[in-house]
Amino acid sequence: MQKEQEVQGKLQKVHDPELDQPLPELGFIDRTIIDENDVEIVFRLPTYWCSPNFAYIMAEDIRLYVSELDWVESIKVRLIDHSASEEINEGVTRGRKFSNSFNGQSDGELEGLRRKFQIKAFYARQDRLVRHLLNNDLLDEKQVIALTVDQLKCLNLSWEGASLREKYLVKKQELMHPEANVYAITDHEGKKISIEELPGYMFGIKSTRLSMEFNGHYCRGLLEARYHLSGKN
Amino acid sequence: MYRLPSGEEIFVIDAHIALWDASKENQRNVHGEQFINCFYDYHTSLSPKEYWWPKDDFLKYSKERLVKDVFIKGHADMAFFQPVFLNEFYKNGFGNLEANAQLAKEYPNRFICNGTFDPRHGSRGLEVLEAMKEKYDLQGVKLYTADWYGDSKGYKLSDPWAVRYLEKCEELGIKNIHIHKGPTITPLNRDAFDVADVDDVATTFQGLNFIVEHLGLPRLEDFCWIATQEKNVYGGLSVVMPFIHARPRYFAEIMGELLFWLDEDRILFGSDYAIWEPGWLIEKFAEFELPEDIAKETGAVFDDKVKKKILAENAARLYGIDIKSQKEKIKNDKIDRQLNMSKV
Repeated sequence: MQKEQEVQGKLQKVHDPELDQPLPELGFIDRTIIDENDVEIVFRLPTYWCSPNFAYIMAEDIRLYVSELDWVESIKVRLIDHSASEEINEGVTRGRKFSNSFNGQSDGELEGLRRKFQIKAFYARQDRLVRHLLNNDLLDEKQVIALTVDQLKCLNLSWEGASLREKYLVKKQELMHPEANVYAITDHEGKKISIEELPGYMFGIKSTRLSMEFNGHYCRGLLEARYHLSGKN
Repeated sequence: MYRLPSGEEIFVIDAHIALWDASKENQRNVHGEQFINCFYDYHTSLSPKEYWWPKDDFLKYSKERLVKDVFIKGHADMAFFQPVFLNEFYKNGFGNLEANAQLAKEYPNRFICNGTFDPRHGSRGLEVLEAMKEKYDLQGVKLYTADWYGDSKGYKLSDPWAVRYLEKCEELGIKNIHIHKGPTITPLNRDAFDVADVDDVATTFQGLNFIVEHLGLPRLEDFCWIATQEKNVYGGLSVVMPFIHARPRYFAEIMGELLFWLDEDRILFGSDYAIWEPGWLIEKFAEFELPEDIAKETGAVFDDKVKKKILAENAARLYGIDIKSQKEKIKNDKIDRQLNMSKV
């Protein structure tokens, strides 16, 4: 029971890169099988065709986070019902590079793609946080762009606001060199936004957030239809 | 014709329909089975329950059913075929140009039959395209850049051979290039949803129109950015439309974004029939209003004038259809007579 909970805790850290949501919340974890110190994670996706590249990232991350548990001796990750199940399961279980698992069909590794989607997730989280701050009159626009990371951490926020802040700062730290990480609301390289730029900037990051959320609704609906889960429809 | 809540009767073009055969007999392999299963999940996850088809009907449907669903029950006055072959998955292809053309012949003035090409077919394919233009008088093509061919699992519009095909389109007067950019099959490590290749060719080929079907979802923001830069880039609403029922707030958000980033002249209605039936989509669209906060934030106006453009005028302009004379042409034709009968 204890081990099960620990594994679940680690799975909460694994996000679908395109949707920026944890796998268990998306319903992507089919089951976990724990036999002494051997762990097997079985996961599933909304379609047979979902990008193998993103599936590979998820499978790698499952392996990475679950292996942080010091009692775990072996991990098997198994993606089911997918056009590339075999290549992904074999590759990730053996710790292979993506390009070696898809010989001749890929044109590079996944690092660039990971970074691209970290940036998208960063902007989507930033949009939610900034909207929360502005819409609840916690700060005005001038204060938002002048805010430092330390000041943001000290703001007295509601439970919802604090959770948006935490999620945002995690992503910001992943992306930025500490020296660039002075101001709270910046672009993905740590550059400050000017008051003149802010309205256009906000429209830009909003469309990133909307796109990710729209996609999330799509994927949840498809997963529900595919596995006959009780959905909204 | 469809009557808006204001009482005005408007002409409707469904710019994205298909007649497919995904029957067991036509499936080449497990991929063919999985492809249509995936379509069916789209169908049930986003249609109102009363519009769900039995699975067997969905695998293969008759042309009579298509006519009934699209024109009689579906409110459309014209429909555009956007075919896709998927020859690696289906023995005789998923779509079929000849079947589309036959239906168009049976019901004159009701259909536009687009063709398709695959740049990986090289120079032989260029000849096929020419013959296709000759035979079907093509005004447009539907491209499926994620289609499999041999070992290849997709291509980009900016690939040298794709550029040669687009040059050929320009030369032959095939002006409308519909590109499936949206949910796709097995893209590998490059981001296959990426719409950047559309940006490249839209700049090069100013004389062609590039209609990005499904708005490049899940990369809406990239699509909006490109469409802001390139005036010959359009957005096709198929796949986005059913959100009007399942997630109306998101549908409104997306319409707000489109009207903000593009403009009302570059958005085309499409049902993606038979995944979704146009009837209920059009009914909901005609009634739809943008929530006040979205209208205020984006400055978007979503009135009858805009709805008319999206439901017909924009597509008509791209295909040289004069709506007024088209109305005359279809008056008292086979479909119109059926409609009049059902009203009695």
